[in-house]
Amino acid sequence: MVENAHSLNIAASLVLLLGITYILGPLYLTFATASQSYEYLLRSGLAWIPGDQLFNNIARIFTETRIPLQMLNSLLVALSQAVATCALSFLAAYAIVGFRARWAGVVFALILATIMLPLDIRVITTYQVASNVLAPVNWLLDATGLNGVIGEVFGAPLHLEWSVLNTHFGFIAPLVAHGTGTFLFCQFFRTLPADLFKAARMDGAGPVRFMFDILLPLARTPFAALFVLTFLSGWTQYLWPLVASSTPDMQTAVVGLARLSPDTDGAVPDFPLIMAGALIVSIIPLAMIALLQRYLVRGLVLSEK
Amino acid sequence: MNAIDTAIRAAASSIALKGVTKSYDAAHQVIPPMDAEFRAGEFTVVLGPSGCGKSTLLQMIAGLERVSGGAIVIGGREVQNLEPKHRGCAMVFQNYALYPHMSVFDNVAYSLKVAGMPKPERIERVEAVARMLGLSELLARRPSQLSGGQRQRVAIGRAIVREPGVLLFDEPLSNLDAQLRHDMRLELADLHRRIGATTAFVTHDQVEAMTLADRILILNKGRIEQFDTPKAIYHRPASVFVAKFIGSPPMNVLPVTGDGSVLRLADGQVVVEAPLNGNFVLGIRPEDIVFGTGGPLKARLRYREDLGSHSVLAADLAGEVVRVATPFGVDIAEATDLSLSFPQARLHLFDAATGRALPGAIGAQ
Repeated sequence: MVENAHSLNIAASLVLLLGITYILGPLYLTFATASQSYEYLLRSGLAWIPGDQLFNNIARIFTETRIPLQMLNSLLVALSQAVATCALSFLAAYAIVGFRARWAGVVFALILATIMLPLDIRVITTYQVASNVLAPVNWLLDATGLNGVIGEVFGAPLHLEWSVLNTHFGFIAPLVAHGTGTFLFCQFFRTLPADLFKAARMDGAGPVRFMFDILLPLARTPFAALFVLTFLSGWTQYLWPLVASSTPDMQTAVVGLARLSPDTDGAVPDFPLIMAGALIVSIIPLAMIALLQRYLVRGLVLSEK
Repeated sequence: MNAIDTAIRAAASSIALKGVTKSYDAAHQVIPPMDAEFRAGEFTVVLGPSGCGKSTLLQMIAGLERVSGGAIVIGGREVQNLEPKHRGCAMVFQNYALYPHMSVFDNVAYSLKVAGMPKPERIERVEAVARMLGLSELLARRPSQLSGGQRQRVAIGRAIVREPGVLLFDEPLSNLDAQLRHDMRLELADLHRRIGATTAFVTHDQVEAMTLADRILILNKGRIEQFDTPKAIYHRPASVFVAKFIGSPPMNVLPVTGDGSVLRLADGQVVVEAPLNGNFVLGIRPEDIVFGTGGPLKARLRYREDLGSHSVLAADLAGEVVRVATPFGVDIAEATDLSLSFPQARLHLFDAATGRALPGAIGAQ
């Protein structure tokens, strides 16, 4: 590092420059396309130079598309998912680390294993469950023979049905359980001195009081980090909202954006409009990162101070 | 003396252990049935090597560990099945265990807040404790802004603010550097003189034990080796374990054999006349060995340590290493022959099989 520092610097800068181009290039293209008219695009293909139609295209997003409404959907889904995931991960980690439960190790391993089973893999089964959440109860009634009894007494066997498809709850619930979040909190709790738990007990604080008074304030940083991460992944989630929503008014913004391109073959999509939409939809997560990025880094590093 | 002192002195309760046992599994008892009484208002030090069960014992008194059997009686009340907060104990932990996100004031006041004490009373109590411990200027600070000694004092303040009947310390000085440890030791002794709380103090440091304790309970593998005043423990150790554990350097112990008239070392040298038969362990403190010309025992000097105030000679005697404390700067070269004598009045005799002291057999006991 000492000798050759100069040439090393140049090489590092080149690599960084390459990376920046790789990331900013498409972004620039998005911006340039969004500021051109549809006619310009039809005439000259890729827009390398920005035009003067940006505000016009943005205005069209608000007047001609459902993107604003769908952004509200996205906001609701992503916020609820972030809050619920944080709460669930926090509680699960507290249960695993804070109490000397006999099977804590096994439970922790199982939770970690879910990281290897993202929703994209189990989308079909998740769809089946979401289309009737009470299907397991029906199965249980059939399997135990209870339904036979019910059929004789009431004339017909019990068949329960509750679909959460095309509801906000249905978009959120399958994504709330989060192995990485639980892992994050577990690791954080393990950095706390064990005597802290004991000191609180000596001071008369029970497990719930300890959680609210001590653990929660101390876990502020990992909380914020996980919140940002899950919010971003909730906002950009594509597959599940696409599958689970059936009306345009329930779709999330990312899905709605993709639906802006026409289904008919051969038609050239209105790329300036789509790109203007993309810019609008990116604003919220961008603001999120800008505001909370210091927590993001600190929470993942897990060091105090 | 202010209100807190008086309240704590009045609340001081005795702790009685009645057949208390602890085991984590059926095969292995960490603490076999134990009986002991920590008298009200006394400073009792529980001393032992690491892994002897002393912290477990303290945590059982506090209520952080369940007892496997027996009863713990604090101030006349059986408490072994009560939650910690109902036992009237407070504890100071090794790593302070202060709440990092709270100010010093909130740390000290937390137990009062949990107990539902009204705010004005809370403030009054905390301020009284802060004055007593010299923390008044620091109440607004966070633990991370305090020095090690100050954190220690906050931890003590947090413990005494509830005016507990029993004050428990779990190796509270082991994280401090040598100078601070010395200062804190004096402060703790002074604090105990002022508030007179019943104190149980766990440590593996014999200096802390000797200087602080009214009585020392020496624990070895969960069993009580001796429970007595520091003076008695030093001068009349009840077992070989205690003899070897206390003193710096510790007592020399040598296997001896009695033939009915004299006790002999392994190489046949006669140590002392005694009408005893069988195998024994002979103990003598390094500072009690008389060193000079004409002593009956022949030893060979191995090495010497000059410590400023005195020197410690390590010599081979009958296949064992014997340490002799001598005035500083004795003019003697390494690898020379020494003559030693063991004054009979200073000898301790222990049973070779059980390790227990045999008082009255010879010498000091």
